[in-house]
Amino acid sequence: MAEALPLIKGTLDLLVLKALSWAPMHGFEICAWLEERSDGSFDVDDGALYYSLHRMEERGLIRSEWRLTDNNRRARYYQLLPAGRTHLRTETASLERYVRALTGILSARPA
Amino acid sequence: MSLPRRLFRLGIRRPGGARDEMLEELEFHLESRIAQLVARGLSPEDARREAVRRLGGSLAQTRRRLGDSAERRDRRMDMLQAMRNLADDVAYAVRGLARRPGFTIAAVLMLAIGIGANTALYSAVDALLLRSLPYAEPSRLMDVVQTNGPGGNSPWSWPRYRYFRDAATSYASIALHQYSQTTLTGTDPERIGIEEVTAAYLPTLGLKVRLGHDFPGDLDAGPGARKVALISDALWQRRYNADPAVTGRTISLNRESWEIAGVLPPGFRGLSGRADVLVNLTARQADDLIQPWSLEFDLIGRLRPGVTPAAAASEAHILGGRIAEVFPVEKGTLTTDAAPERWSADARPLNAIRVAPALRRSLLVLFGAVGMVLLITCVNMANLLMARALARKQEIAVRLAIGASRARLIRLLVTESVVLALMGGVASLGVALAGARILSLINPTEALRAQGLAGGIGAVSFEMIHLDASALAFAFGLTLVVGLLFGLAPAWSGTRADLSRDLRDGSPLARGGRGIGVSRRSLVVAEVALALVLLAGSGLMLRSLGNLLQVDPGFDARHVLTLRLALPPGEVAHDSMPGFYDEIQAALAALPGVDGVALEDCPPLNGGCNSTIMTFADRPPSATGNAMIGVHWVSPEWFRTMRVPLLRGRGFTGADRIGAPKVVVINETAARRYFPGEDPLGKQVAVYQGGFNTGAEVVGIVGDVRYETIDSTARPDAYIPYAQAPVGRMMIFVRTTQDPAALAPSAMARLRQVAPSAPIYDIQPMESRLASASSQARFSAILLGLFALVALTLAVTGIYGVMSFAVAQRTREIGIRIALGADRRRVLALILREGGLLALVGAGIGLAAALASTRVLRGMLFEVTTTDPGTYAAMIVVLAAAALTASWLPARRAARVDPMVAIRAD
Repeated sequence: MAEALPLIKGTLDLLVLKALSWAPMHGFEICAWLEERSDGSFDVDDGALYYSLHRMEERGLIRSEWRLTDNNRRARYYQLLPAGRTHLRTETASLERYVRALTGILSARPA
Repeated sequence: MSLPRRLFRLGIRRPGGARDEMLEELEFHLESRIAQLVARGLSPEDARREAVRRLGGSLAQTRRRLGDSAERRDRRMDMLQAMRNLADDVAYAVRGLARRPGFTIAAVLMLAIGIGANTALYSAVDALLLRSLPYAEPSRLMDVVQTNGPGGNSPWSWPRYRYFRDAATSYASIALHQYSQTTLTGTDPERIGIEEVTAAYLPTLGLKVRLGHDFPGDLDAGPGARKVALISDALWQRRYNADPAVTGRTISLNRESWEIAGVLPPGFRGLSGRADVLVNLTARQADDLIQPWSLEFDLIGRLRPGVTPAAAASEAHILGGRIAEVFPVEKGTLTTDAAPERWSADARPLNAIRVAPALRRSLLVLFGAVGMVLLITCVNMANLLMARALARKQEIAVRLAIGASRARLIRLLVTESVVLALMGGVASLGVALAGARILSLINPTEALRAQGLAGGIGAVSFEMIHLDASALAFAFGLTLVVGLLFGLAPAWSGTRADLSRDLRDGSPLARGGRGIGVSRRSLVVAEVALALVLLAGSGLMLRSLGNLLQVDPGFDARHVLTLRLALPPGEVAHDSMPGFYDEIQAALAALPGVDGVALEDCPPLNGGCNSTIMTFADRPPSATGNAMIGVHWVSPEWFRTMRVPLLRGRGFTGADRIGAPKVVVINETAARRYFPGEDPLGKQVAVYQGGFNTGAEVVGIVGDVRYETIDSTARPDAYIPYAQAPVGRMMIFVRTTQDPAALAPSAMARLRQVAPSAPIYDIQPMESRLASASSQARFSAILLGLFALVALTLAVTGIYGVMSFAVAQRTREIGIRIALGADRRRVLALILREGGLLALVGAGIGLAAALASTRVLRGMLFEVTTTDPGTYAAMIVVLAAAALTASWLPARRAARVDPMVAIRAD
């Protein structure tokens, strides 16, 4: 396994929103989902995830409620709100544009 | 936002608190992570260590930080929610108000008047009574007076001051001051205010010159000191173009030159508020200053730190007694009665005497009255909102039924009333601004003196009234209080819904027969009662004003222009003055439209003139005690010009000049008081002024003229022909056939030619002097009358509103009655009786309250008692008539109810 990359500032929120766009999840589920998708290439601090959730709930991008898991445990589930979905869409688009521009410059070779 | 969403957003409060929940969430996270790692083959111990590491190392620290973060999140979300709720409530209120523009405009107007009038009067009360005096540590400043029996306060003489200054230990610094007027001589002469002070004046007040230096301390050593002046900032700007090199130059006052030491701080014009120059009183010569009975100076002192006003007062009592022993009353000096006098001294905080007590009282009365108007406004608003809440009973019941909390609904309704109040508050600023402006323009100091309201510190004046930050804060606070006051009661009773009944009943109008609630009736009763209190108060004041205006001042003020003329000393030699005055009179008499010109030294309604004692040639001095008499220098034409009737004997003629036998004319009161049962004509008297102490013959008796105030009875007066004892200051009276004000420019121009270096000032028609003599009474009466009118209007609309509502509620019942054969006239009587009953109960309570509260008007009333039955009866009739009119319209509507329509309705 290669050395894990640090996350670029702001992208954690985006990844969390992406995770929640599939289904409501509790905190650990989000962690597991991110690890699975990134194949361990991102170094996500578990604590940072919760700060991100607090931040986004406060901003009205997601909401939370207590539910029972499949194993009948009480867990706090987070759910995407319409504002969060919009945020995910626009931020993803701008990040893609950014990466494309960056790649274009960095991959150019002297003629 | 839709109703359900509004309701369901209420009260989302997580049980257990954010921190506990966070800990539970974290615990769950740890367990899940450990389970995952164990499943991947780690030992439980290693798995736990790894799980904690991924959370950021120290578990305790993670717990604390995440707990903090969760709490912060909830706090912010709650705050945001509260703000959204408020915004929703405000938007809801605004929409509701916009739907009913008539109601809203009426309510906003009502509140604007109520709050605005209160704010304007507050600004007056603040400026005149509350605001701290503009001196350093004003609470340490004391006004020290000599006392002569109860209420008899007297100023100080230099020797007495010196004794007090050397003996008193309460003060860090004390100073004398006395205001007068002088002439700024030189080019473009000008009449200005001046204060003669001791060198410690500014340090005592805690002030410093803005330029140059203060009076040197050695000036206070004694009489005959060099002449030093400080000039006001205003004078410095106006006459010296703010020249910084002004110090060391001289200023010419009454043709004497004074060295300018410095410039006073901006805005400070002495305690008189009117001085442009301060001079050292020690510049006077010794014989002018060392008379112990020359009582002319006021004394202020700054208390030493830690000395209380009470301690200073008791020291003043002791020292006052000692001073009385050191300077005993000499026999035959100026005293007003034969009783031995007990002289002492007293010290009062300067702040306590800032305005005349009568002025303080009338301000407080008006402030109380305007507060009452606002109270009625609130009651009326509550009444209106209660009617609204009743109409919305069903909507409110629905909200309660689907889970809105009562507190939330009350908040919703109170928000509406506060929004309404804020709209009124904003509109009130216009009213307040205009009101404060009007208040600041009335009652210049001269008018106050003419009404016996002078006294106090001249620097505290009506000109200080303006809307400042404190007035705005007052208006804002008042607005919120008012909004809560008239909003809370209707919101409370409006949401106290009997759920099932209100839902079942459907339309509130369906509940016929129950009439209107007790609460609304009590509100109307309260309104009527308050209105009667104001009506009674204003009725008494108007009555008093009427009496005041009926007073015959003793002369005819119409078509007379008055101008003051002050000759600088030496301008005209003493013996040439009569000729000079003759010239002036002749010049003015030649102007077109002039019907008569005359001179007199002190105008009527001046708040008092010069007086002295009179003795009688045919009686020993002890027989009459000390007969006080006012002294007036007049030209021969004065009585005719002012239409003062000559009752007996003769007036003065051109032959009564220097060298001719001295003659006096006395007024009716003097004749009655000093010559009871004998004929004054031909009697020899000595008047101790103007050289008439050598004796003069009484040659005539004229009618009384009020020289003091319009409401004080005339005192004994004597008139001296100015040609036998000329004085340098005269008032010119010009009777015209036209508008006296229109004559002013040509009269001024003419006087400039004849007397180019004599300042001419205080030019106004005699009628405006007469008017300002009753301006305080007029002002109080008019304002109170206005307040009463507003109160009456509000009470009438209150009665009208309640009766209309009652009739609307009972339409079906009335319809049935009429269908069953009730006489329409009896229906009319029924409704009228109900309205009349409300008015009657209100009037009864109001009568008791008025009798109790109009007692504060005692002392402000002229020839009316506070329980004047005529006034009360008249006001009750006014109120009853208004109440019946207000009930008449709804009653007529009730009597016209069509039974078929009424019964079919709903």
